[in-house]
Amino acid sequence: METLEASLEKVFGFNTFRSGQKAALTALESNQDTLAILPTGAGKTLIYQLYGYRHPGCVLIVSPLLSLMNDQVDRMRISGFKRVAAITSQTGYVERQVILEHLNELQFLFLSPEMLAQPQMLARVGQLDLSLLVIDEAHCIVQWGPDFRPEYLLLGAIRTKLNQPLTLMLTATAGKVTRQEISKQLRLQPQVVTESVDRPNIFLDVENVANEAEKQSRLQALVAKLQLPGVIYFSSKQQATDTALWLQQTTGVQAAAYHAGLSGEDRFRIQQQFMTGQLDLICATSAFGMGIDKNDVRFVIHYHLPADLESYAQEIGRAGRDGQPSIAILLYAPGDEQLPLALGQSNRPDEATITRYYAHPQSFAADDPVIHLLDFYRGHGISQAAVTQLFTRREKERNRALANMLAYARERRCLRQVWLQAFDETSPAHSAACCAPGEVALDLDQLELLRQPTSETENAPTDWETRLNRLF
Amino acid sequence: MDPADLLQLLSEQQDRRLRVIENLLRGRRTVSTLYWGLRYDLLPLLNLAKPLDRGALDAPAQLLAQQGLIAGDSAEGVVHLTERGQTAATSTTYYRPITRQNWVNVDLIAARQRLLLAVQVASQYAHSTSRYYPLATDLTTRQAVRRWFHRVKGPDLATNLREALVSSLRQLPAETAAVVTDQFTGYQQPGYTVSQLAQSTNRSAWEIQLMHFDGVAQIALAAQEAQHPLHDLFQPLWAVPVSRSAQQTLQAVEAGGDLARVARVRKVKLSTVREHLLEAAIMLPATEFPYDQVLSETIRQRFAAAVTGPIDSWQYMELPAAMRDELDFFYFRLYAIWRMKRGDSE
Repeated sequence: METLEASLEKVFGFNTFRSGQKAALTALESNQDTLAILPTGAGKTLIYQLYGYRHPGCVLIVSPLLSLMNDQVDRMRISGFKRVAAITSQTGYVERQVILEHLNELQFLFLSPEMLAQPQMLARVGQLDLSLLVIDEAHCIVQWGPDFRPEYLLLGAIRTKLNQPLTLMLTATAGKVTRQEISKQLRLQPQVVTESVDRPNIFLDVENVANEAEKQSRLQALVAKLQLPGVIYFSSKQQATDTALWLQQTTGVQAAAYHAGLSGEDRFRIQQQFMTGQLDLICATSAFGMGIDKNDVRFVIHYHLPADLESYAQEIGRAGRDGQPSIAILLYAPGDEQLPLALGQSNRPDEATITRYYAHPQSFAADDPVIHLLDFYRGHGISQAAVTQLFTRREKERNRALANMLAYARERRCLRQVWLQAFDETSPAHSAACCAPGEVALDLDQLELLRQPTSETENAPTDWETRLNRLF
Repeated sequence: MDPADLLQLLSEQQDRRLRVIENLLRGRRTVSTLYWGLRYDLLPLLNLAKPLDRGALDAPAQLLAQQGLIAGDSAEGVVHLTERGQTAATSTTYYRPITRQNWVNVDLIAARQRLLLAVQVASQYAHSTSRYYPLATDLTTRQAVRRWFHRVKGPDLATNLREALVSSLRQLPAETAAVVTDQFTGYQQPGYTVSQLAQSTNRSAWEIQLMHFDGVAQIALAAQEAQHPLHDLFQPLWAVPVSRSAQQTLQAVEAGGDLARVARVRKVKLSTVREHLLEAAIMLPATEFPYDQVLSETIRQRFAAAVTGPIDSWQYMELPAAMRDELDFFYFRLYAIWRMKRGDSE
């Protein structure tokens, strides 16, 4: 068999692997289940693409984000892999039939966990010759599983039904607890390949503000000064939309909102506008990011407090992929922890609800997500006591994760240390170039992140015929 | 849909049911919806806003009512424009599509998808790029455009397509031509989203979509010409706006069967045959429906003597009982359609 380097050269035209890629591939080549924890932008997909190229059979990728999956399929087609398909709940009936008819010919198949959990689909996939099972965004087993995507919890059982194929778990962020939980859920003992999550070129900053009004004006002032392009994360679609418009009108920055409520067509245009530099600023929800390759993002601002440091690390990881100075700013007002707390609770049934549900399961409406979740557990034969215990444990974990996030927001000495500690890493010695906790003033000039006045190259307005001509 | 958009779909003279308008937009094709769509002159909007939520018109209607622009029975969702509402509706420069009469005959949603992808593919091809993100769209569209592209690609494609598009868009108002152009995605041009275009033109998102449909229909009309570069791509999207089974029923009736016999032969209920015929009568021009055969001169005369005043005020239940026993509601409805198709809009 040709060397890994020779395959890399042949398929992608690169001479060397990025760190982590080779270690993961080597482990897989020696038939070892592998958990690869590599930072955003490290090229995690290359690992299974190359493995799929080197081995006959089909690589099955389970991925939690529908929009991301179609994106991945497009990317793979662009890189020359043609036998690729994705089936999600959004795949139309006809398309699904066409894919199912040609299932045996596929080299890569992307499925959502819900789709794979369907008995018929599982039976079809069971007949395939699987070279590799990939669990993408494996942290979702822990972070999302019990609250949003119960199907991820079935992956252990599913993997057993599929005769325990060689398995690659991918994630950008996973602390010790998360790693253990992933292994436990999937019932395996993986080799762990990991790189530091630290991104030394991203300056960390927390901005304390007194209240919402002050937060807005601080945001506005930052956007007016900071070097572009940038991303601002929100917990609410409406607030992302409203703020994009407001910042565009008041700061003159070209901004747009991006969230799961947009049509696929509009999401495509916004992404492309951002990639080509037509847009300088995206006001996003967590739907934005995975799968976006933009290297020169200079800042990521969080308007709302994320629920845990792992999501935070994932989202600020979109800054500075080119290695140039960048900044991650968290705007924090006292009481900001109430929103993630409430969002977490609204997805979780309390003990009284669980009791009432188990007494009369039929009298609850399944379109309520909480009830849907309980239906799921009950349908899989999990007892009331076990479910109650599960949610209690889960609540404790979430509260602990939020407490860590809050500790970061309130840290007075070194933000990086708090951040890295959550991933069991030790931080380099603190310096002025490392971070600016809440009470420390931010010097954007010093950080070389101040926006330079650009010569206004106001494009002369062109008529539509000229614009149409340009297309061709 | 904004309140200003809804304002345009209402009338001062006619009470209109919000649910009917909503069902038309969402493509809920019942005979009742189609009939009232015809009465309201809103059939061109059939299917054009499928993702609209149920009850999506209630909030804008409430706002219009608060502003005194509409009145009526809000509990029943039956409303009409007030005098102020009428003034507001006519005084604005709200967009009025020019190709609207053709809309029911072509699948505008599919045509728009095909057009966007075809323009992107041709644009990238013209710039010799093959590595780019294609617009995310459904499989049928992708396959149709792929087949089309392999047939038409060549050194002249870009020029031909550009000239064809320019010639169609020149027939539209300049603003519409610009909005249609700016939705296109292609080489180094991601295109603009509906809300970006709405913002830059100061129009509602729905108006932008109406402009897009106007542009697509204009291009589809030109593409009926066999030499047009998009002819093969668009031709399958033109269709008689009547469901296939209703067409079969209509053919069987035209071939000379009475309705009960057609029902037996086609193995459907008599009521289904009647539904099919009403659908066909609503959707087709008067000349393409066998009124003389189905609605005899005698029946017409009897209705003419029994009903008076505007069509919307006619009530089947107010006909003499003997007449109702003899003539099903079907004939009553068909008579109203016949009168409308003859131009008796009252």
